[in-house]
Amino acid sequence: MVGGENSSRMTVSTASGEDAISSVSSFDNQGIPHSITVPIPKKKRNLPGMPDPDAEVVALSPKTLLATNRFVCEICNKGFQRDQNLQLHRRGHNLPWKLKQRTNKEPRKRVYVCPESSCVHHNPARALGDLTGIKKHFYRKHGEKKWKCERCSKKYAVQSDWKAHLKTCGTKEYKCDCGTLFSRRDSFITHRAFCDALAEESARAQTLAIMGKEGNGCDVRRVVASPSPPPLTPSTSVVSPGLSVQSSELAENPFGLSPPPTACATATSTSSTSSTSNVFAATFASSTAEPAAIPQEASVPSSFPHLFCGLARSDCPPTMPAPRAIESPSLSLSPSLYLSNNTSSLFTTEQDHYHYTPSPQPAMSATALLQKAAQMGATTSNPSFLRGLGLPPSTNQDNNCNKWVVEPENNTTVAAGLGLGLPSSDVMMGSSSLFGNKPTTLDLLGLGMAAASSAMLNPYSGGFNVGAAAVAAATAAAYGGGKETWDGVPERKPYGSTGASL
Amino acid sequence: MAQEEGSSSVTSPPLQFLPWMPLSPGMGSPYPWLRELKSEDRGLCLIHLLLACANHVAAGSIESANIGLEQISHLASPDGDTMQRIAAYFTAGLADRILKGWPGLHRALNPKQASLISEEILVQRLFFELFPFLKLSYVITNQAIIEAMEGERMVHIIDLNSSEPAQWINLLQTLSARPEGPPHLRITGIHEQKEVLEQMALRLTEEAEKLDISFQFNPIVSKLENLDLESLRVKTGEALAISSVLQLHTLLAMDDEMHRRNSPSGSKNPNSNHFQRVQINQNRRTLGDWLERDVVNAYSSSPDSALSPLSLAASPKMGSFLNALRGLSPKLMVITEQESNHNGFTLMERVTEALNFYAALFDCLESTVSRVSLERHKVEKMLFGEEIKNIIACEGTDRKERHEKLEKWILRLELAGFGIIPLSYHGRLQANRFLQSYGYDGYKIKEENGCLVICWQDRPLFSVSAWKFRRYD
Repeated sequence: MVGGENSSRMTVSTASGEDAISSVSSFDNQGIPHSITVPIPKKKRNLPGMPDPDAEVVALSPKTLLATNRFVCEICNKGFQRDQNLQLHRRGHNLPWKLKQRTNKEPRKRVYVCPESSCVHHNPARALGDLTGIKKHFYRKHGEKKWKCERCSKKYAVQSDWKAHLKTCGTKEYKCDCGTLFSRRDSFITHRAFCDALAEESARAQTLAIMGKEGNGCDVRRVVASPSPPPLTPSTSVVSPGLSVQSSELAENPFGLSPPPTACATATSTSSTSSTSNVFAATFASSTAEPAAIPQEASVPSSFPHLFCGLARSDCPPTMPAPRAIESPSLSLSPSLYLSNNTSSLFTTEQDHYHYTPSPQPAMSATALLQKAAQMGATTSNPSFLRGLGLPPSTNQDNNCNKWVVEPENNTTVAAGLGLGLPSSDVMMGSSSLFGNKPTTLDLLGLGMAAASSAMLNPYSGGFNVGAAAVAAATAAAYGGGKETWDGVPERKPYGSTGASL
Repeated sequence: MAQEEGSSSVTSPPLQFLPWMPLSPGMGSPYPWLRELKSEDRGLCLIHLLLACANHVAAGSIESANIGLEQISHLASPDGDTMQRIAAYFTAGLADRILKGWPGLHRALNPKQASLISEEILVQRLFFELFPFLKLSYVITNQAIIEAMEGERMVHIIDLNSSEPAQWINLLQTLSARPEGPPHLRITGIHEQKEVLEQMALRLTEEAEKLDISFQFNPIVSKLENLDLESLRVKTGEALAISSVLQLHTLLAMDDEMHRRNSPSGSKNPNSNHFQRVQINQNRRTLGDWLERDVVNAYSSSPDSALSPLSLAASPKMGSFLNALRGLSPKLMVITEQESNHNGFTLMERVTEALNFYAALFDCLESTVSRVSLERHKVEKMLFGEEIKNIIACEGTDRKERHEKLEKWILRLELAGFGIIPLSYHGRLQANRFLQSYGYDGYKIKEENGCLVICWQDRPLFSVSAWKFRRYD
């Protein structure tokens, strides 16, 4: 910079032990450092890491750096951390006037290098400008970490660092919707982007589905629109807790993270129950001579697949599983309704699905079938099966086919009633209220109606262990109250009135 | 006759005619109305027919069983809907069981042939790909391993059935990202086929080299029950982890006959051969058990309930294997098992449990794969079908698919001196993230007693639990 007599800009002086002390406390009456320097007229601040080339480079020994009481009174050798404190102390010694003066020297610009040779700052070109700075650096990098934060067990070598940390440790926490806690803002944001992506995607899918984006247009919208408000309410209530309480209750977790599709499935499945009945009627009517039902059958399954596909994923063409999902709410009421909440979201956009053709006879899932069969019991008679459909079989006509036609209409209301109410409730209780005498039967067969669905999943273990011979006795007992017994079998054959007992 | 009525007259009006069919077996013609059955009714029909037929088989009435099988054959089909497929494989199992009564016939129809290794490998691969169960199990297992091995420099993993390299590739990748750097990893893989292990070795060492992890793969070609623990060469100073994915239950295979005869509880109804009539009293007691759901009570009164102390204590292979494992002082053992009780003494117990379990599995396939898919057919036939056949038709040491529920495993392992390590919240989070990111809908993960249970629509299917060697202190 300034051209001076001294061509060598930086001179390095090494000091050790007591000498170092003297060189450190340079601007006072102590000894003169063992170096030749060019005093700099003005003080300037240098950029960090780029020391003033004119500065004196002082390499202090580790011992010096670690020393705490650098300022030592020459009279009594008492050490002080600060020069001012030392001055105050010296006043007390009543020094003669001459010695009171401080040598008024230009404070030399000093930069300090780290004595640790492996350190970056050992190089004079990377010397640090501040004594305190070099001390702190030395402590931090090459010192023992003596200060520990209680909360997070983070260790610090410099007390001021530790104090600064204590102020912020645990005070500021970011919490994601999924329940994860973060202390750092950047990690929180990163996580939230990832976490949000999932939630947003599902939310987007839901809105798309509800818009009927994939559907046949009017059919879908009509179907969705009509009962949409009520079903959506339970669904939205499902969404919010799901999204927020995701962390601990993992049972809810999948439910929560994908509430929109699930809820939407609820919405659409419930909305579909009313028209499902038509499908139901249609499928049975196809076996009869009712022409009116057949066009329905043709149209409804084609629109629903679109609906359900839009639900689950985008771009799902008509698939066979969709009609199946439609049927399940109405047909197998209680457990399958719960199933159907998720069933429709099952249908992924696997390429294989493109090969599906909607079959006129959609199939229920096997699990649903098993549960239904369990409800009915191994040996319930015919009207009990009808009861299983949720309607008293009192509407029998002569022809069995006609009977199948008639029932669905009753089934509709029941199913719809169940459908709308059931998605989030205990499905089994719903069904038990429906089947008046069911609890008796089922208890006998080892099924607790109040039990969780998992109990229902083991219906056969209780039910079917009973041997065939026992079953007859069991059903006789169950139906002893004037309901159908085995003796009633021949009576039922002509499908006559099944008695007022039902 | 009443029996037939009771068992088969169930659902739709046409079915009412079924009871009268057996009376005139010469009818011959397939019942036309059966064709018109809608799928749901057909499914219900199949269920009832299946159970009735199983009852007959268990009771020894072969004639009725035969008729039942014939009836079912008109409705079941391996290419139909879920219930039809299930019925097809269950009837195959039942028929196989009946046929075992005539060993000559059975052998003639099932000649001993070395099944193509490549087919088996393929089927396992399909199971891995079509379902998330194995992947989830690997994610959870690896997470448990990483947590347990924090800070360890030498890690030794024993894989009781080493057939899927993806499991350990995932672990290698996660380990290489460990903040303290990857440990020295040794994996000992056990499998019956040399080719599979060679393939594993190749893939894993390749991956480890890519990630620059010090890695060693030791193959051991052996059946699990014949495993010689010396060959594992566990060294002192290394942290040992054991991974058992759907393997441990095979060690429960034992000669039930002998044990029942020797059992102190003096069961009234030893399941001596296939054709023993089931007594009603016992069934009622079993019902009572199920009603009370007293599943943890090891002293349940029903001898044929799979929870009796008899079955817990008496599996010799399992006992000695667990003891040997415990002797290795593993730091961690992660066990993945099917969550269903297919180890009941009576056939009906097993059939009903298996129906529920495999119904859920077949449903998974139905919702994710098309019906015409060859892969699906392969998995159904060669994996599930074989398991079903084993559960239904085999007895004694032949019956390897002795799945048991988590509560029983917990009891068993605790008796053997292992302590449960609750799977961490982070593990659950990983597993759930995996499910969502791969778009596997319908699957759920539940937590039970510190273990994770993977469910399909609330039906628990597979359980993953972590164990450590517990010192008696």
